[in-house]
Amino acid sequence: MSVAAGGGAAKIDKTKLMMYGLGGGVLGIYLAHVLNEVTGTTYFSFLAGLGVIAAVVMGADATRRVCSYGIGTGVPSIGLMAMGMGLVAAMFGLSIGGVAGPIIGIAVSMGFGYFVGLLTNRIIKMNIPVMEETLMTLGGAGAIVLIGLGVMVSGVIDYRTIIGNVIDTGYIAIIFIAGSLAILHPFNANLGPDETQDRTLIHAVSAGALAMFATGLASLETIGSEGIISMIVAAIVWLVFFRRFFELVKRDSAGVKGTGLLPEGGL
Amino acid sequence: MDMVSMGLLAAMGALATVAGASEDLESDVGSQSNPNSQVQLAAQVGHPHRIYNKAISGEPPSNALYAALAAVTASVLMSGYGMNAFFAIAIGAVVAAIFNGIFSVTAYMGRNTSQARFNQYVYLDVLRTHTTAIMAHAYITAFCVVSISYIMTAPWLPIQHPFPFPLVALIWGLAIGAIGSSTGDVHYGGEREFQNYIFGAGLNAANSGDIVTKAEAGLRSSIDNVWFCARFGGPVTGMAFGLTVFLDNWRTTIFDPATQGWYAVLTGIVIVILFIVYNRILEIRARKRYGPYPEYKGDIEA
Amino acid sequence: MIPPIDASMLVHIIEIVIGGLLVGIGVHFVPVGGAPAAMAQATGVGTGTVQLAAGSGLTGLLSAGLMMNYTDSIFLVVISGAVGAMIMIDATMIVGNWVYIYGVGAPLASAKANYDPITKDSQAPYVAPGTVGQGIPTVCFVSGTIGGLLGGAGGSLIYYVLLKINGDPGLSAFFAIGIFVVNAVIASYNIQGTIEGFHDPKFKRVPRAFQVCLVASLIIAIFAVLISGGH
Repeated sequence: MSVAAGGGAAKIDKTKLMMYGLGGGVLGIYLAHVLNEVTGTTYFSFLAGLGVIAAVVMGADATRRVCSYGIGTGVPSIGLMAMGMGLVAAMFGLSIGGVAGPIIGIAVSMGFGYFVGLLTNRIIKMNIPVMEETLMTLGGAGAIVLIGLGVMVSGVIDYRTIIGNVIDTGYIAIIFIAGSLAILHPFNANLGPDETQDRTLIHAVSAGALAMFATGLASLETIGSEGIISMIVAAIVWLVFFRRFFELVKRDSAGVKGTGLLPEGGL
Repeated sequence: MDMVSMGLLAAMGALATVAGASEDLESDVGSQSNPNSQVQLAAQVGHPHRIYNKAISGEPPSNALYAALAAVTASVLMSGYGMNAFFAIAIGAVVAAIFNGIFSVTAYMGRNTSQARFNQYVYLDVLRTHTTAIMAHAYITAFCVVSISYIMTAPWLPIQHPFPFPLVALIWGLAIGAIGSSTGDVHYGGEREFQNYIFGAGLNAANSGDIVTKAEAGLRSSIDNVWFCARFGGPVTGMAFGLTVFLDNWRTTIFDPATQGWYAVLTGIVIVILFIVYNRILEIRARKRYGPYPEYKGDIEA
Repeated sequence: MIPPIDASMLVHIIEIVIGGLLVGIGVHFVPVGGAPAAMAQATGVGTGTVQLAAGSGLTGLLSAGLMMNYTDSIFLVVISGAVGAMIMIDATMIVGNWVYIYGVGAPLASAKANYDPITKDSQAPYVAPGTVGQGIPTVCFVSGTIGGLLGGAGGSLIYYVLLKINGDPGLSAFFAIGIFVVNAVIASYNIQGTIEGFHDPKFKRVPRAFQVCLVASLIIAIFAVLISGGH
């Protein structure tokens, strides 16, 4: 993309967003696991999906910050990279950590992201000051999205169950790609000189809900009809936040027209 | 090699050709991918427009999403609810098309809103009339790509690829997106957007963003654009994806990979060499036909 | 559980690192002109680096996966993957050239070299004024084919090694995709979006990407080999 300009200043602080994203993500995953284990059902899997939405918002904000610099390769690549890092780290964490797996996976992914950011700045000389920190955030977001949606599909934090339900069935495909689009699409779709942070982040919530809905569809087969709860919750979240997004579009745009010709004079 | 494998291969090639064409046209209606940069730039250089501005990431990730989503839905319906493959894939493609519509609408709104200072309006009638056309193309693409993936992975068919069904769909989705954005989109970006400049002049960097916004009568819409691209850009994109799917699988169909794996590899290498030779012929013929640019005066700094 | 560490694991790590490096270097060979190329404003394929590299490399992965169903030979699997990727990228470039020649009406020319290093053709007279070349001339085509070869081979090698370790095609394929994407993105940062191929001055930056991909692949490989299949 030739134009890579983020617009307005950030109204919500990045540390605050990171706190919410990481906290919300981890909380969602563990609540889903614990409640499902305690009650012996899979009704609470949707909580992991809600955690994922928090992480998606954090990731979208990181994308926004790093892509404002014009990284030369367009927005999509960084979202894919986030998921690439998150994938290996998440599976590593789940494989060795048992119930502590998600935390190990997220930590490894964030460390790896920071390290790759450091290398790209030092050796490739990208000279983007926020590179380390945003790649760290993106790595964390990628890992949470993968683990969270994985837990949503399988119902528990258990490596074998996740391998059976998520990997061998191939449902990881939708987790991988819907998750990366949820992280990269909000900023990519709102790119331009008059981009505003709140609109991008509201959009991130609705994009996260779409990823949750798509994964909920997959969970219909693995955890059964309980998966429909995830889909309904996701649909409601999407509807609410899409409406809010549309409100912000009306607020920010030059004009939302039913129809009409071009404006006079243009510039 | 048996008749069933050969027939399936032919079906895959045909499906791929249709998928490639519809994928390219889908991105042309929405101005996705790289030509989008000019649509984006147009308003900034003083040409507000009524062209769809659909920036759903690059084409490869977005098509991977549609294909993977359709495949996952189909897979759930088939293994969870015992549905027939044909209907399951059709329903999966519908779900993918709905997602495509949602992503398109948000991208159009978001991108145009972020250009408020250039007086770029958000036209709701553009959304109403174009989004359905985009979704229809996405449906065809998703259906064909997922059908190819199903043929490759179905346990009762001869190929039986070891990857899970949605993963194969994801990879073909990425590939079709990469092909679509590399081939057919050039026809839209290089020619249709800049029809007001001489044919064959490339795009002078000074003219960037000066896209055609007016039609024969009234304002140009993206439906006009897809009408144009359907004549060349779309079909050749289908050709590219069809060639990829067909040639790649043809090698392992005529030679049994279990016993004649090296023959399959050799055939592939011969195909690649033929491609290189053909490209050279193409290059020579084009240069002969068109000749050097009249403005050429000595070497130009790159 | 962490499996016991032995010498074969070290070999596996090295193989994955080689795969990652092949991908990282292969991306530098792929002639991509990014958005300008899609408007016949720059030489190369009109798409993003990662996109085209991933499209071809993963098509190669499909070929390699199919071959691995039948054989255990590392060479056959890796070369199958490389050939699959080459076919995909060549078909794309040929059709891309059709569009440049017949759809846009521009002859193929590179602006980074005055003479095509392979065919010795003069390039500058065929570069449209105000642009930096159009289409995919022979040198870029050959370079792209090499890029497909390296990318496909790298992805397949990673897949082969991982499948040997965990025995799960889905998991291995996804890891291969993950490692592929990370290396391809690093390489694309190194070339800053556009490159014409091995004759491009930017190609001299390969050592930088080599270093970063080496370290990144090494770390990721260590994690990847520690993951068991769970079966």
